[in-house]
Amino acid sequence: MILQTIITGLSIGSIYALMAVGYSLVFSVLNFSNFAHGAVITLGAYVAWAVMTQFFHMPFLPALIVSMLGAGVIAFLVERIAYSTLRHRRAPSLYLMISAMGVAIALQNVLYATIGANLYALPPVFTKDSIQLGTAVISRMDIFAFVFSIIAIALLTVVLNYTKVGTAIRAASHDSEMVSVLGVNLDMLVAVLFLLAGSLGGMAGVFMGVKYMVYPSMGWITNKAYIGAVIGGLGSLPGAVVGGILLGLLESIVSVTVIGGVHLSTYRDVFSFGILALLLIVRPTGLFGRYVEEKL
Amino acid sequence: MEYAQAIFTNSAIYIIATMGLAIFTGYTGLFSLGHAAFMAIGGYAAAILTYFFGWPLLPALVISVIASVLVSFAIGYPTLRVKLRSDYFAIATLGFGEAVRVLFENLPLTQGARGLPGIEKLAGPLNTAFLMVITIWLCRNFLRSNYGRKIIAIGQDPVAAEMIGIKLLPNQMLSLAISAAFAGLSGGLLAHYITFIQPSIFNMDLSSLITAGVVCGGMGSLTGPFVAIALFIVIPELFRGLALWRLVLYGVLLVVIINFRPKGLFGHEEINFKNAPKLFWITGLTVGLTVATSFFNGYSNYWGRLPALGVAALLGLAVTFGANYLGKGIIWVLGRVNPPVGGFFHRISEGLYLRLKSALTPVKRQERWAVKSNGRITAATAGQPVLDVNGLTKRFGGVVAVNDLSFCVYPGEIHGLIGPNGSGKTTVFNLISGVYPVSGGGIKFNGDLITGKAPTAIVLGGISRTFQNIRLFGNMTVLQNVQTALHTTSDYTLTEAFLQWPWGVRPTEERLYQESLKLLEEVGLADLKDRVANTLPYGLQRKLEIARALALNPGLLLLDEPAAGMNPKESLDLVDLIRYIHKSRGITIILIEHHMDVVMSICDRLTVLNFGSKIAEGTPNDIQNNPLVLEAYLGDKVEYAAAS
Repeated sequence: MILQTIITGLSIGSIYALMAVGYSLVFSVLNFSNFAHGAVITLGAYVAWAVMTQFFHMPFLPALIVSMLGAGVIAFLVERIAYSTLRHRRAPSLYLMISAMGVAIALQNVLYATIGANLYALPPVFTKDSIQLGTAVISRMDIFAFVFSIIAIALLTVVLNYTKVGTAIRAASHDSEMVSVLGVNLDMLVAVLFLLAGSLGGMAGVFMGVKYMVYPSMGWITNKAYIGAVIGGLGSLPGAVVGGILLGLLESIVSVTVIGGVHLSTYRDVFSFGILALLLIVRPTGLFGRYVEEKL
Repeated sequence: MEYAQAIFTNSAIYIIATMGLAIFTGYTGLFSLGHAAFMAIGGYAAAILTYFFGWPLLPALVISVIASVLVSFAIGYPTLRVKLRSDYFAIATLGFGEAVRVLFENLPLTQGARGLPGIEKLAGPLNTAFLMVITIWLCRNFLRSNYGRKIIAIGQDPVAAEMIGIKLLPNQMLSLAISAAFAGLSGGLLAHYITFIQPSIFNMDLSSLITAGVVCGGMGSLTGPFVAIALFIVIPELFRGLALWRLVLYGVLLVVIINFRPKGLFGHEEINFKNAPKLFWITGLTVGLTVATSFFNGYSNYWGRLPALGVAALLGLAVTFGANYLGKGIIWVLGRVNPPVGGFFHRISEGLYLRLKSALTPVKRQERWAVKSNGRITAATAGQPVLDVNGLTKRFGGVVAVNDLSFCVYPGEIHGLIGPNGSGKTTVFNLISGVYPVSGGGIKFNGDLITGKAPTAIVLGGISRTFQNIRLFGNMTVLQNVQTALHTTSDYTLTEAFLQWPWGVRPTEERLYQESLKLLEEVGLADLKDRVANTLPYGLQRKLEIARALALNPGLLLLDEPAAGMNPKESLDLVDLIRYIHKSRGITIILIEHHMDVVMSICDRLTVLNFGSKIAEGTPNDIQNNPLVLEAYLGDKVEYAAAS
């Protein structure tokens, strides 16, 4: 039972981490919370649904790659359409956030208006999903999602630390203006940033779709990932990973807890937002965040 | 007809909620993504009272307002206290909204997700419209009061607001409470209009709809959001089949408006004669599109698609332009009619007011003003310093910005604080005014220790300041900037403000007006009183900042590089102004300045900083000949410089 809870927690946590990394990547350079990330993730899941069940009937792995690419491109387009004008005008980060909210509302409802509110299942990845481990029943998909998420994040870390683009991104997270003065094409850099964030989001979306269902408002789940990113400290990649996994674990523990005959699982979301509120009040910079004081 | 009534009532209900949110998000710039929760609280509170207990509508609505306000305190106090970043605040309110919804889905009293069916239909177009008008009137009154000005000031520059003694937390909570109150009222009406509520009605889409209305209408305006939300409700109703695309439209509108018209339809202005044509364009376009689509739907079967489309397009264009010209005509007529008619009514009301003036101003209040206008008596006895800085230290991480600094400023002195760039002068000001906590040492003002006090307490205690990079309330007029700073001398209550109570608000506002005018005359800006502050030239903005600081009637004035960016003539002008203020008010001044001619000509004594430490102190003459100072400014090759 405990093992099962932990595995479920790690699996959902690693998916949170995948999405949280996307938030943190964008936040670290552009300093705003990209609330359109959820919509990108949803679209990623729909791409997988389309290529797996509607057209081509691709197997899982190619479909995953296609939807990662698709989500990456969508994230890039969103940036071009909704943020780049504001970015060039050096608008306050609040404006970017509003624009992101607009994108989120529009994209989600485009899905409602075109494909509809139906829930669609993605074909199962494993024919026999559960593994018996002692008394615990563990889903293969959970392990698969966890392993794949960790690999993806590890790859991202390698890209950020050992490539030229990665170095530029890390530099830009300290001072994007300085980086552009040094001759880095900031538009290019931001494009790469959104491609990376989007494709990780697409991956998360596909995993969510396999684990649960594909539906227009599934992007809501990114609010949890955002909480994960805030727990770790927005703008910090290790923070996003740790925060996401931590939140996943805590949630899966809360879900199986029963206090005085009341199943806490109904209040799981209240619990998550409660953590967020508490954290923002006690330590708004999260576990790994940095704090910048305003100069007067 | 019933259909039109339904659209009207719906719009009115959402307008009530939007007006409230305009007061919060529009003026403080803090985003709430959970206002549907306040509507839910109001809706359920009122519905439960009428449904289970058979209350009449009005008292039930009062309870829903009270319930929302109480909850707003509970959510506002912890989140606003810690001064969250705007996006953190937004996500916190989103969490709040979700939490309330989940709670209502699981409470027995609210009958869970099934909701409350069969609520009595007590709200209709008439009482809803009446409450909407009342709402708008109350909001307008509030914004025109001292309380409203404080909130507007916080929205424009929280730091500057604190530095004129406006406490952030209570005022932001007040504005959140007002928005919650109207959201609660709106929810209560909604429940009794649609007669069936369930938690899922009050979801994030509803929250974002209201927020979208405020942003698209214009943050800092009431009429703008009014128009925007009305359009949001009406447009989808006009186009059948658009229902699913409605939210797409909000989303796209948000993106387009924030990108191309970041200030919304009407910016921070209310609708007036000048920008009214916009309104007619918008309504014209809406009506034109409606006419065109309904024509097309009606005739495409008879005439074929293409001809019908052509005629529909022409018809739509005609209606659009027609409405526009009609609007222009109306403005023209109103413009003709307004001066004589408006003037007539204005004269009557002014006449009445003047006749009743003495009766309108309660004697008690006049007595209180008499005491207040005596001003603060600088309590310093001879010899005791006004400001006593002792061993002051400030560390930022490993950097020591101010290092064991001690100096005294005596009553009536103009004390200069000089030093090369980065020597910690502004940090000293920030420590004195309480913006930064000190790392060590103490500051005494008139003998009282002020270190550790809140910035607002220090300001109200008698130390006011200006800023190195000007921090005015940019969208306010010159006069309003000063009026806002006079907030401490306003003495009417919040209730009086909401009602624009003639026995409270008017006499006080008139006095504030006169006092601000006097202050503006002092710095020579009286002629420009109606200019928007950020359209003033640089030098005049600095003078306005000084006037605003003086409005607090300080005993000690901190001027941070008042002559920065000024040409020689302007800085001479400024020297005269500082001298004049110093003499006429008898206040003590500390001055940070790089223009040495300014410093040397008006300062009685100087303290010189370098790398956060004091390297010299004395009269301008002493300082000019101090080798240490020369070294700090010119480098250690002073011998060469002096020799050549």
